[in-house]
This record gives sequence, C-alpha cells and structure tokens, in this order.
Amino acid sequence: MLALLTLLTACASVIAPPPDQAATELVPVPFFPQAEYQCGPAALATVLVHSGVATTPEALAPEVYLPGRLGSLQLELQASARRAGRIPYTLAAGPEALLAELEAGHPVLVLQNLGLRSLPRWHYAVVIGYDPARQRVILRSGTERRRQERWSRFMASWERAGFWGLVIPRPGELPASGTADHIGPQLARQEALLEPALAQAAWERALGRWPGEADILFATANARRFRGDPEGAAALYRRLLLAAPAHMSGRNNFADLLLGASCPAAANAVLTPASEAVTGLPPRVRDAIIRTAADIASQLADHPTDPAHCRELAGDLP
Amino acid sequence: MLNARLLVLLQILSLVVASTVGTAQAAVIGTADHYAQQSRSQQIAVVDAVLTRDVVQQQMVAMGVSHVDAMARINALSDAELQQLAHKLETLPAGSGALGILGALFLVLLVLEIVGVTNIFTKL
Repeated sequence: MLALLTLLTACASVIAPPPDQAATELVPVPFFPQAEYQCGPAALATVLVHSGVATTPEALAPEVYLPGRLGSLQLELQASARRAGRIPYTLAAGPEALLAELEAGHPVLVLQNLGLRSLPRWHYAVVIGYDPARQRVILRSGTERRRQERWSRFMASWERAGFWGLVIPRPGELPASGTADHIGPQLARQEALLEPALAQAAWERALGRWPGEADILFATANARRFRGDPEGAAALYRRLLLAAPAHMSGRNNFADLLLGASCPAAANAVLTPASEAVTGLPPRVRDAIIRTAADIASQLADHPTDPAHCRELAGDLP
Repeated sequence: MLNARLLVLLQILSLVVASTVGTAQAAVIGTADHYAQQSRSQQIAVVDAVLTRDVVQQQMVAMGVSHVDAMARINALSDAELQQLAHKLETLPAGSGALGILGALFLVLLVLEIVGVTNIFTKL
C-alpha cells in the first residue's frame, strides 16, 4: 500500500511554469459537457465548432467512439477532423507550444493520463487558457465548463500522455507553433485524405511563413499543378531549383510539367542533372527520374526544338 | 446480408479506383512520397494495405462499431495510420473521461483499503 502511494507521488515530475506569461483565456470556445466515456467526441466537438464546423458530440460519436474500449483513439480523432473538412496538427511537444497556440487563439485538445503510468486513465480535454498569477491551466473538461488545474498537476498528467495535443485551425490557417520540419511532413502525410483546395490553401500558407524552405516550395508547387495551375506551379519549381539546385524530386516534377506543356527540350535541360545523379537516390525517386527521362527522349525524337511559350515557362535556370 | 455484400463490392470498387489513380502519374514524385524518403521511420516495410484495412475493420466491428461506420472510419485513415492501428486497437490509449467506472472502482477499493475494510493490496 505504502509503495503504491510512493509511486503515485514519485510520478509527478516537476515542470516549471513560464516566468513572464501573459494571461490568456479563449472565452468564446464552446462547451459540451461529456456523457459517460464520451470525452473524445466532446473534446473534438469543442475544437471543431471553434474552427467553424457545425457539429455536436452526438454526431461525432459514431466516427470516433470505440464501444469495446469505452473510449476514443487519438488517430480517429484526427481522422474525424479531416472528415469535417479540417486539418488536424499534432502539437510540437511541450508547454511552450501549448502557450504559443493559446496566444494565437487556438484551443488545444490534449490527452491526459489521470492515472498512473502502469495503470493509465486516459482523458481528453481542451486547454483554453492560462492564468499566470495563480499558475492555473484553464480547461473545458468532462462536465466542467471552466476547470482550473494547477500548472504542475496538469503538466504531470500531460507528460504521462507524451505531451500529446491537437490543434485544428480554420481552413487556410496553420498552428502558431512548430517548424517547417514539423508542419510539412504532417500536411504531406494527410494530403491524400484532404480536399485538394483545402490542402493547397494550407501549403500556400506554409509557403508564406517559410518562403525559403525547399520542401515547402516543392509541396506547394505540386499542389498548384494538381489543382490545374501549371504556370503557378512552374514559378515555384523555378524558385525551388534556384535556391536548391540539388532538389532532384523538384527537377523531376518540373521536367514532367514541362513535358506536359510540350517543352521536351526545356524538360531535358531541367532533368539532366538529376539523370546524372540517379545512382545515389532513393528507389522511388530514381524510378520516376528514369521514367521521365524516357518520356522526354521519345518526345524529343519527334519535336527536337521547343515552341516559343516554353522559354517563359522554363525560365533561365542554371 | 445483401447490405453486407453491397458494402464489400463498394469497398473493392473504391480500392480499385484508388490504386488506378495512384499509378496514373507514376513519373511524378508525390509530396508524401518525397517527405517519406527523408524520414527513416516512414520507410518501414510496406505491409499489404488491403490486408491491413481488413484487420482494422474486423477489430472495429468486434469492438461494437457497426459495419457501415467502421468502413467510413477506415476510409478516413491513411495507410500508415491503419498500420499503426492494426492489432493495437486493444492497447493504444483510448481517452474515456475523468470519471470512468474503472477509476471510480479503483478509488472505492483504495478508500476501503485505507479504512481497513478490505485487504486486497496486502494479501499474499
């Protein structure tokens, strides 16, 4: 018994509260008191409605609730957000990211472990504010509209859940926290499951924030092309290859675009450095480059010189 | 019964469509593929996607989700996400609430133990 109690207290590692944090509370965030075991649908509805989706916990339950587990899984909350036309982003771990989101007006759906590491009790809640004077985290949680938890207590329960948090911004917006290396891969992994217009809007926003990031340029160019804007895509591929001439995926896709615009000579010029470097590339990139090179060769045989419009599309690349 | 067959047919159709769309632009490198090349964790062996979908769907149904809901839920998950779920639906964290029955039961037992009514934790 005593050992158990010691274990209880020993688990609470101490995370110092931020020294100069402004008080925040996102008062307009709605509240849905949870029915038994339904904290997943309730927390999800809270952030979705705040992001402009008309929904309720009852409507979301068939999308996320697992009767056999008396609860909801993290991945299914994310899937459900996508079904509602939103893009969920997991938080870059830690208190700084949480506070950055609150300051930007984004409530954060968090997973807490209210039990022990060895006997976990998982709970979803939504962080809506922080009161630095009293060191309290303010949450929409369970059946409490405005639950206040001591900073250290909240952090211990959140830490036991791996600091997992979800931000669901309005369409075209991004989380306030996180680097290009954190946001880009998340968006890329989910893109196939999103409306192309929604995905493109997110990439364009990311490009606005990280205009020099090669992979964001690449991704936004791909999204523009997929949505039927080859000129817009070409402009970004040119920017990408000027900044990062060794971006072989970019070379391949730009060459493919030029080929689609009946510019095989320009495509050939763009792809040649990639063709010469194929041996060291990952298999899928290599295969795509080889295929593009073959397509270029067959078009070049029939049309050795490009029409006039190709010059503008290809630009002057080194 | 007819309903179930119809669903299976629909599912097969959706898979066929999905796979043809995937190969239509083979010479282009997708954004997701490009990012996946960079992170080693993404390069885990590609498990049969169809099999994985089946596994997760069966598990969901076994856990009380209706066939129709299960299929819609599967369709909202990426292949990588389905791989993370397969065989782990029983063990992954499932957030349920601040006042789950297990928690309440645990508290009651703890109180009983402390006041000396029970000896569950001290018995051999």
